[in-house]
Amino acid sequence: MNGFDFKYLLEVFPIIIRALPVTIVISIFSMAFGLILGTAVTFLRRSSLVFLNKSFNLYVSFFRGTPLMVQLFIFFFGLPQIIPVLSKVNAFYASILVLSINASAYISEVIKATIDAVDRGQLEAALSLGMTKFQAMERVVLPQAFKIALLPLGNTFISLIQGTAITFMIGLKDIMGVSKVSAASSYRFLEAYLAVGIIYWILTLIVTRLINYLSYKLSKGGVI
Amino acid sequence: MKKIILLLAVLAALFGAVVFIGASFTSESTGENTLVIGMSGGYKPYTFTDESGNLVGFEVDTWEEIGKRIGKNIEFQTADFSGLFGLLDSGKIDTISNQITVNENRLEKYDFSKPYVYYGAQLVVAAGNDEIVDLGTLKGKKVGVSLGSNYEEMIKTFDTEGLIEVITYESYQGSLQDVALGRIEAVLNDRLAGMTAIEESGLELKLAGEPVEMLFNAFPFAKGNEVVIDEVNEAIEAMYADGTFEEISLKWFPVNITDN
Repeated sequence: MNGFDFKYLLEVFPIIIRALPVTIVISIFSMAFGLILGTAVTFLRRSSLVFLNKSFNLYVSFFRGTPLMVQLFIFFFGLPQIIPVLSKVNAFYASILVLSINASAYISEVIKATIDAVDRGQLEAALSLGMTKFQAMERVVLPQAFKIALLPLGNTFISLIQGTAITFMIGLKDIMGVSKVSAASSYRFLEAYLAVGIIYWILTLIVTRLINYLSYKLSKGGVI
Repeated sequence: MKKIILLLAVLAALFGAVVFIGASFTSESTGENTLVIGMSGGYKPYTFTDESGNLVGFEVDTWEEIGKRIGKNIEFQTADFSGLFGLLDSGKIDTISNQITVNENRLEKYDFSKPYVYYGAQLVVAAGNDEIVDLGTLKGKKVGVSLGSNYEEMIKTFDTEGLIEVITYESYQGSLQDVALGRIEAVLNDRLAGMTAIEESGLELKLAGEPVEMLFNAFPFAKGNEVVIDEVNEAIEAMYADGTFEEISLKWFPVNITDN
């Protein structure tokens, strides 16, 4: 144990970065599916059918109320006990599936709050112009809601990226998995985890920049 | 309406992309003739990565040799140790090669191959600690074990009054680090891994007393894999007979750990 090995820190970077595509791909796909799923769930929760809104409120409550790791273990190790065909799902797809569902619960909360934040008069005005409820939502309310939602959705994305750090538990070699293995082989814990920490940090900074840029564009009157 | 079609198109494209990319990330060669071997990749010198990130170690060499002898492709799947048995149960790997000790609980659930490593469980303590020499002197102390490993059970069996505080770790190296840092007093693990770790890490540690118990390790398979187990057993016996096991062992350790 002789202090900080700067040389090892530099050596371990390229090794960890080789696993970066896994982390990035999983994060981006999970966010994309999470957004679509989360938006759909929000509408189902706003449905006037009691059965629908109750069950999707339960859905959101469960996936926000339990740790991501628990959800991943239940899906990957637990469910195949009763549904054997699920054991065919490999770690890559299982990670995307669980992360998407988990993210969709948070995203649904964000979208629900931002729809509520759009002044009700907007919806009423759109309806009075003869739009259907769907048109009013799609053309008037949602574009405004997404503008408000952008920053909190950016936060969800950042949490999602960092959430991928647990996927080595089920055998996916992401940047966290590679740094765990590197740390164990070299006994250089500080250096290996510092390196992976810096990589996550840089990813977060890039996402933050991107979100700020989009938000700036939107503030000038553009729509997505 | 246009937007809905657009949304569906985007969704379809996403699914397509995920399936396409997924295929390139996961080397799914689950052909008839492939055995998938699970290991932690973080248990030096059994399974670890070299400077350029390749998986190497005693377990890797052992399986490459077994694969050659039984004429099957060998594929290695690394995962956190705590996830390995889950991968085995859900059929994602065929067996675990990570110094899995045969014990009664495991025998109930899995079929084991013939043992390939014989060893002693060993306590590792800080270099200046002369107080701890066996399980008896551990009373009132904190001892680290690896999560999902056999050592916790070993301590529980001995320590029926619950006087020893067992701390579980995800990583073996992490537990040694904590002994060196003084967070716990000892670690119970495999004697040879302990010797290697002390030598290589430069941590101020030493072996405490004699081995606690003699044990043997083998490869666990899900029940109902008699054919594969027979093939693997045959290879193991042949590797003992022609000295291959001794050779692999001496490549990674100062002594022959496969010696019965």
